[in-house]
Amino acid sequence: MGRERLLSSLLAAALLVAAVALTWPALGGQGVAAPTGPGIVGLVADGHGVPIAGGEVVLYGDGMPLAEAETQQDGRYFLPWPEAASQAKEVALVISRPHFERIEQPLTAEMRAALERGETISVPPVQLEREINAAFWVAAFVFAAVLAAIATERLHNTLAALVGMSVVLFVSYLGPLVHESLFIFDFGDALAYIDWGVIFLVMGMMIVIAVIEQTGLFQWLAFQAYKLSGGRLWLLLPILMLVTGVASAFLDNVTTMLLMTPITVEIAIAVGVNPLAFLMPEVMASNVIGVSTLIGTPTNILIGSYSGITFSDFLINQTPGVLLAFLGLILYSELTYRKELAAGHSASPALLARLGEHARITQPDHLKKAGVIGAGMLLLFVFGEHIHLVPAVTALVGATALLLWIRPDMEEMIEAVDWTTLVFFMGLFVLVGAIQEVGVISVIADFIGRLVGENLLLAMGVLTWMSALLSMVVANIPFTAAMLPVVGYLTLTIPGAESKVLFYCLSVGAAMGGNGTLIGASANLVTAGIAERAGYPISYAYFFKKGFPAVMITVGLALLWLVLKFIVF
Amino acid sequence: MSGIVCAIRGGPESRPTIQKAIELAKESGLPLYFLYVVNLDFLSYTSSSRVQVITHEMEQMGEFILLMAQEEAREQGVEAQGVVRQGSLREALIEFAREIEADYLVLGCPKATRRGKANAFTPEMLAEFARGFEEASGAKVVFSEEDCDGA
Repeated sequence: MGRERLLSSLLAAALLVAAVALTWPALGGQGVAAPTGPGIVGLVADGHGVPIAGGEVVLYGDGMPLAEAETQQDGRYFLPWPEAASQAKEVALVISRPHFERIEQPLTAEMRAALERGETISVPPVQLEREINAAFWVAAFVFAAVLAAIATERLHNTLAALVGMSVVLFVSYLGPLVHESLFIFDFGDALAYIDWGVIFLVMGMMIVIAVIEQTGLFQWLAFQAYKLSGGRLWLLLPILMLVTGVASAFLDNVTTMLLMTPITVEIAIAVGVNPLAFLMPEVMASNVIGVSTLIGTPTNILIGSYSGITFSDFLINQTPGVLLAFLGLILYSELTYRKELAAGHSASPALLARLGEHARITQPDHLKKAGVIGAGMLLLFVFGEHIHLVPAVTALVGATALLLWIRPDMEEMIEAVDWTTLVFFMGLFVLVGAIQEVGVISVIADFIGRLVGENLLLAMGVLTWMSALLSMVVANIPFTAAMLPVVGYLTLTIPGAESKVLFYCLSVGAAMGGNGTLIGASANLVTAGIAERAGYPISYAYFFKKGFPAVMITVGLALLWLVLKFIVF
Repeated sequence: MSGIVCAIRGGPESRPTIQKAIELAKESGLPLYFLYVVNLDFLSYTSSSRVQVITHEMEQMGEFILLMAQEEAREQGVEAQGVVRQGSLREALIEFAREIEADYLVLGCPKATRRGKANAFTPEMLAEFARGFEEASGAKVVFSEEDCDGA
């Protein structure tokens, strides 16, 4: 069994490397031909002014194609002026791209004269209008179906993303045999949508986490929290929330809750308190404080990679608001669980001894080394941006250094990497690429754009609350991935949004909104799973009753900070 | 070997089951075993790569829950042992009962049945359920509440 898992892990790793190699040309390997001789230079963009790559520009002379060029990543093209064009009575450029209306751009007599003198001319930029065709509806339907399959747990996240990816690619290749409007994109273009910065950052952090989670650090911290509180349960609650929250800011929330929940249940039982009085505030703190750093949540990793918001940017712009939200959450939790906390008592010496036994650092040497490497990584995350060191490289270098230093069983380490999540991300990127390609994202962006106009405050409010409410019912990772281009468009069009404040709004809404429902975050589900196995089930209704007001408070406070920071001051 | 096996999860729902097992142990004088079964089905929401670490943590939590039950038995003059197993509850319970050649299996009363809900097990269904356990384990099934099995 272990051998099979190792083989499947190695296979996944090999696929990952192969996919990077395949995508490499699309990532930047395409060279832009330097203009030589007479020719036409132009720019093609969509209705939002976003450059269009892969557009086909054809020069027609008396209805016959004479020369052609392709637009590059920046939407520009250079089309050499062929000699045959000088003989034609009428010449015109025809610009087309799948999922856009084709457009004809005539050349004036002055332009022709300049070209015939051997000059290179620049034609006015062209905007292509979106074409809503069959591919649009197919991609939109597949994406919605994947979201529904994940939300209703009909399919595992990864399987749902793989099914969605397979369907859009299958339709792309076989659909045009039925009707050309069913083409979405080809395989190369699909792979170009995968954000390898995200994949490698997540993978690097998984290796570091795999080492830390075996050291007993979380259990030790939880027990120290009890000792620090001196048995005062009103004090134990915020300390446990803080420990969980800080761990979540640097490690993934699911791992944090997987390790914090069992020891928390033990502490709660020992002091005679319903464990949910600690677990609910802990998991909510995990979802709230995780937003404060670039690596705290998968949604922040996506946002950082797309928008260029750095680790320091998150610390400076997001952390104060998160702390404000955390204070609100502490007050809310103390108030909500006051009766349960009041019913508790001090743990008996026998139970305390048993707790202490469980809460020992089991691998002190590994913990020390992980601490040193972790501190180094933190410094690189913060200061690496000055030398353009991307977070994915820091994570990979840190993970490799840790492996070299502690020399763990590599088989175990490879198994510890959550390949299913990485494949989920890859499938998701392709799916989001599909809806971006066919124009679904543009339609959403247009709708929100019309709704908020040029009012930044309104845009912040709409985006934050919409993200928070939708994240309660829709998995927040695909939601965030789909919203990134929308927010990118709004950032370009709304005055004042160039500060990237709307990306912070998306970050706050998508992560903190997960506290509203049991299915709002994976950390909620694993916490409920363990609590249920300890005899304390968390129902959907219970989670909503306790979580929804917490969302209102925390999102409201975090948004208040963003308004103060980016609009008032 | 012989004895009473009582499978528990912890929490308020387990208290009647623990109490029933303690009473049965006092009446019969048989050794009492509290059993906690670690089941990681909920990890299907997340990665299977966490199985090793989380299994250890869940075992620790199970031992702690058993400790509380053992403490309750001790207070009533019964010495009980705690046993942690992994896998499906049904299979682990039957396997352990066979292992110690148990005389009784004490099971909790399904929540819906206890609360008289419409979707609850009928007495016939519970009797069928108990018969299945008895045939597989060789031990007599006792529910935590008298009116649970319709007896």
